[in-house]
Amino acid sequence: MSARAEVDVVVVGGGATGAGALRDLAMRGLRALLVERGDFTSGTSGRYHGLLHSGARYVESDPVSARHCAEENAVLRHIAPATIEPTGGYFVATPDDPDDYLDRFPAACVAAGIEVESMPLDDLFRAEPLLSREIRAAYRVPDASLEPWELVDANLASAREYGADAWRYHEVIGFERSSGGAVVAVRVRDLHGGDQRTVACRAVVSAAGAWAGKVAALAGAQLEMRPGKGSMLILNRRLTTAVVNRLAPPGDGDILVPVHTVCILGTTDITVPDPDDVHVTRDEVEALLADGERLVPGISGARVLRAYAGSRPLYDAGELDRTAGHDESREISRAHHVIDHGDRDGVDGMWSIVGGKLTTYRLMARDVVDAVAAALGVDAPCRTADEPLPAPATGTPYWLGDRLAAHEAEGGGNAELVCECELVTRRRLEHALDERGDSTLDDLRRTTRLGMGPCQGAFCTPRAAALIDARRPGAANAPMRGFLAERYRGTRPIAWGDQLAELWLTAGIYRGTLAVHALRDAALAVGEAERAAS
Amino acid sequence: MRPSQSARQSVPRADVVVIGAGLAGLSCAAELAEAGASVFVAAKGLATTHWTHGGLDVAAPAAARTSRDGIARLARTDGHPYSRLARDADAAVSRHLVRVGAAGLDHAGSLATALAPFPTAIGALRRAAIVPLAQAAALEPWRVTGLVLVGIRGFPDAWPEYAARNLENAAWPDGPSGIRAVEVAVPGVERLRNVGSQDLARLFDDPAWRGRALAAIAAALPPGDWRVGMPAVLGVEHHAAAHADAEAAFGRRVFEVPSLPPSVPGMRLFDALRRRILASAGRVQIGFDVVSVEREGRHVIAIHTEAASRTLRLAANAFVLATGGIAGAGIRALPDGGLVERVFGLPVVGPEQASWFSDDPLMPHPLEAAGIEVDEQLAPAGLENVRVIGSALAGMRYLDERCGDGVALASAHRAARSLGAPRAVAA
Repeated sequence: MSARAEVDVVVVGGGATGAGALRDLAMRGLRALLVERGDFTSGTSGRYHGLLHSGARYVESDPVSARHCAEENAVLRHIAPATIEPTGGYFVATPDDPDDYLDRFPAACVAAGIEVESMPLDDLFRAEPLLSREIRAAYRVPDASLEPWELVDANLASAREYGADAWRYHEVIGFERSSGGAVVAVRVRDLHGGDQRTVACRAVVSAAGAWAGKVAALAGAQLEMRPGKGSMLILNRRLTTAVVNRLAPPGDGDILVPVHTVCILGTTDITVPDPDDVHVTRDEVEALLADGERLVPGISGARVLRAYAGSRPLYDAGELDRTAGHDESREISRAHHVIDHGDRDGVDGMWSIVGGKLTTYRLMARDVVDAVAAALGVDAPCRTADEPLPAPATGTPYWLGDRLAAHEAEGGGNAELVCECELVTRRRLEHALDERGDSTLDDLRRTTRLGMGPCQGAFCTPRAAALIDARRPGAANAPMRGFLAERYRGTRPIAWGDQLAELWLTAGIYRGTLAVHALRDAALAVGEAERAAS
Repeated sequence: MRPSQSARQSVPRADVVVIGAGLAGLSCAAELAEAGASVFVAAKGLATTHWTHGGLDVAAPAAARTSRDGIARLARTDGHPYSRLARDADAAVSRHLVRVGAAGLDHAGSLATALAPFPTAIGALRRAAIVPLAQAAALEPWRVTGLVLVGIRGFPDAWPEYAARNLENAAWPDGPSGIRAVEVAVPGVERLRNVGSQDLARLFDDPAWRGRALAAIAAALPPGDWRVGMPAVLGVEHHAAAHADAEAAFGRRVFEVPSLPPSVPGMRLFDALRRRILASAGRVQIGFDVVSVEREGRHVIAIHTEAASRTLRLAANAFVLATGGIAGAGIRALPDGGLVERVFGLPVVGPEQASWFSDDPLMPHPLEAAGIEVDEQLAPAGLENVRVIGSALAGMRYLDERCGDGVALASAHRAARSLGAPRAVAA
């Protein structure tokens, strides 16, 4: 059976751009629904290095993107201050970095509208004592650390206040088109319940990022994406207080971003055929650490908690060139682009928004919603740059101190801690489960930071599984195994030294003491009983 | 090369210095000390005893019926420590049980006891045969008896309802006639901040508090023929009294269900062994990391340890390396795939880095078999007065084969004998 709903616009993709588009549509008075095949922020938005770009990274290679970043940096500080930790950032020249790049950098920043300030090296080393003393020049720029989960949640919350809705774990399985070729409905499958639903609509915005090619194909449109896998390492503490970038054309281990209690070393760039391929290879880990040594000598000996990767939503600029008649393909290669599939493929009512950076999500959303609104005859202007997003419940999410204060406030510190590393209390998890009863452990992680600390879930996993089991009897074992597998996927590429010892101790708990591998689920037991009876 | 004499202290020369304070190191030191040797145990930190369930995993590979049968099966595996140590296991295990029994930590079971399913804190079954008395009731025949699992409100590491649900689905031949879960509010716990297993265990050491807590739990138990599975927190120092009091208060058999670290059963084991060593005039020092080694040809003369801002020179006739494997940090894996033994720099055998891991975190990893190769006397290549024991030995997959404790005891016994401990009289 197929339930039917009706909206003006369906947004496909629950990352930052999709959530931003949903908010923008709703604020302009359009009835909008977002569908996401996984959890919100589980794709590229939740798998990046956490940088709010100043734009300085792209002043040479991509001036359009640099200008966008500079403008949106200021906008986000206005509308979403709680999601930003104003760390500041440095661009530093190591002996390996080219002189001409160094010479051109300050003027290029100014031209792109980026505040840039030369940083005396004495001051730099006082502020960041672990940086290599071989660094020969430094500039300060307004880079910052940006919390993507809070940002997406805030956009969705705002969109809901304006009457929109968002469904997670709903995968697009097809589109219905009119005899004239226009999209008139989206078919989705509820991946938890299994039901199919059809949502009638007047327009579709595909904000599926690296997956946009797959979504377009379902509608009969063509869009060649070139997903770029970016791998990153999480180090167990902050090695720097500010973002540190290499003053050179973008390379592998060229940026260090302090995020929460850890810091992230990024980023490789490898073109992969499948955006779902986000496994990190040992070679990438080695390349990242080798380059990271230029910034922080000894970084290879630091404790790495985890490796992870995201898929950049890069598209084939050559193809856009051909079809959209654009003649600046190099310049727009990392900037975003709105694709009207009516013009291009005869699929009226469908737009894809591709390329771009998390920093420019709002601008991307604005541009695609401008196109949709014009086509639907809506002339309400975009207001997302002016109206602040709803603030999160706990002051500054990036600061563990806020969670500590909340923990102390709950019964004078007597609240049960489920995850000691990230100070996640039982009450916090119960609350998250109240809001989203079908949460997996990985969903809880994105909501609460469960299992993101040094032990990578060793202690909190069975505790949280027991909370899930209490609400959904018999349903906790599969999410527990899934969470263990997911945490392991990120630990395995960096499993040496202390982190390998930790992995072994964890194995001792799960295979030795608890014997989790021997757990039998109800389905298995029932199946065996039935076989025995027959 | 000898470091300078300044800024360092010497302690009197020992017969044997044991490096590492896990089951292997402590039992080897105890055996040597009981035999009259002067023994010094130096360990970087507490060992994996504090992480594990406190039962004795001697040998339980798939299809083994008893630990003895398991040893025989593993002994047939090429390169397995038991291929060398099988004949030591009987004496080693029985001596160990007598030794810790003399320190108040009695056990049930022997190498001949049938391996039986032990219910874990999450509700799976693992096979066990030799366990401390506080865990013994779990392995006794159930017949018409039911199992009631107890949780303590505020204690995050007992999940009685979740475990009960999983155990109901478990294939438990001749298991309990029924399974239930209760969670009990125990007076006083609400005043603790973030209740851990150690905190509760120390409370249970206090007879007055224990009486109140056990009364509260007894009142919550269902009427009828039940055996009671408690969190493994029934006292550290006075655990025997706490367990006996629990059985008296409930009027039922009681067993402890070990859960996440820190392991209170492991602490009791550590304490019992340490007491035996101290009683035989041995010394145990935790927090003593080895920073350098003095060698003369094929002999180690002394090790230097660092603790509390001073360096200590420990000279001895012989040295026992009981620093553990990768989990215990006796062996360290490097980013480039190198495997390093941390004290003497002994060669470590193990798989190529590309095949260290299996894809499933719950399956055995080939790297688990990495370790040090030794001769019949457990001496490594090139060092005549060193013995290697416990998890540092190559060739076993201790989690899969459930053999780590048995190998620890058998190798400790072999090393003690080869270093000249006479046949010690059982205490």
